[in-house]
Amino acid sequence: MARFDSLLESVGGTPLIGLPRLSPSPDVRIWAKMEDRNPTGSIKDRPALRMIEQAEKDGTLRPGATILEPTSGNTGISLAMAAKLKGYRIVCVMPENTSEERRLLLRMWGAEIVSSPAAGGSNEAVRVAKRIAGEHPDWVMLYQYGNDANALAHEETTGPELLADLPEITHFVAGLGTTGTLMGASRFFRAAKPDVKIVAAEPRYGELVYGLRNLDEGFVPELYDASLIDSRFSVGPRDAVRRVRELLELEGIFAGISTGAILHAALGQAAKAVKAGERADIAFVVCDGGWKYLSTGAYEGTVDEAEDRLDGQLWA
Amino acid sequence: MAIEVRIPTILRTYTDGAKAVDASGTTLTALIDDLEGNHPGIKGRLIDDGELRRFVNVYINDEDVRFMGGLEAELSDGDQVVVLPAVAGG
Repeated sequence: MARFDSLLESVGGTPLIGLPRLSPSPDVRIWAKMEDRNPTGSIKDRPALRMIEQAEKDGTLRPGATILEPTSGNTGISLAMAAKLKGYRIVCVMPENTSEERRLLLRMWGAEIVSSPAAGGSNEAVRVAKRIAGEHPDWVMLYQYGNDANALAHEETTGPELLADLPEITHFVAGLGTTGTLMGASRFFRAAKPDVKIVAAEPRYGELVYGLRNLDEGFVPELYDASLIDSRFSVGPRDAVRRVRELLELEGIFAGISTGAILHAALGQAAKAVKAGERADIAFVVCDGGWKYLSTGAYEGTVDEAEDRLDGQLWA
Repeated sequence: MAIEVRIPTILRTYTDGAKAVDASGTTLTALIDDLEGNHPGIKGRLIDDGELRRFVNVYINDEDVRFMGGLEAELSDGDQVVVLPAVAGG
């Protein structure tokens, strides 16, 4: 379908694109789920819209309300777009070590930004947002880390789209942040095609981001259920940058840095399948385009230089 | 058998500030016991009641050990082990 009554109606339904040069053989193929084609350019349009609609339905979000959300960027941008169209005010709590483009986009769509300290990354944003929520009980925190509608968006749309476009799918590889994409898509596949392997790629940042005051300040999203995942990989900036550049060089796809990390995990599964002599059709998520990360320096100079520049930044 | 173990900032009080230390063991349990021998107290920060603590993630060659047998995950010479606190994304 290519005609929609409004922008919000056009979320999802993204293309699945084959990667003939990065795929190791005709039997082991890699497919890119192009989530950058969503209205604000990222996969987060799906959960953001679903969370807002759910909150409207159950009455927590009423006309003129203020939405509050901790976000490293994309979810906030998606919520801000929807909030603008639906007439809500939105306040985003965002770590200060996120790219300038994300801030510019948030402000462009009308969001107010509260910065949280760089040390501790999104953990700090969550903590600050929870404190602000306590001070403003009338504000509505959709809370992507614990909101079932986040995972539901993927269970109801991302998963079914993938199976329809790639009935022979053997692996689904996505990023692990709120865990919503993996939890939702996995619930769908566990029911519809249980032999599909669910693989998580988790960004590994510089030390600053893990600079918590104590280990008990760690954070595991309430949505996370480890039984819905088959393996989980930690991918550092070096591999993420290397892969995101390969994706551009070999397949012409200009993606954000976190997509490089996910592609790295997908290629790992592909190599495993080749070694085992098994066929594989591996779908991975292109979370967003590279536009928002140009200022990070990830796309210029040597990989060493890019790795240095990303140190301390929340690049996913 | 030498395995490099990368230590997060928050646990470096146990390693005299070292970012990485060598340890040995054929399983993660054995490796952590060996670590404890040289860096007393660190085991209690990683393990509670016979299981990895909720907010501690351990990776062998970048793979999360919870999907590789947990504390019984096997190790080989030259593997790299990374310990990190769990953090949010999104």
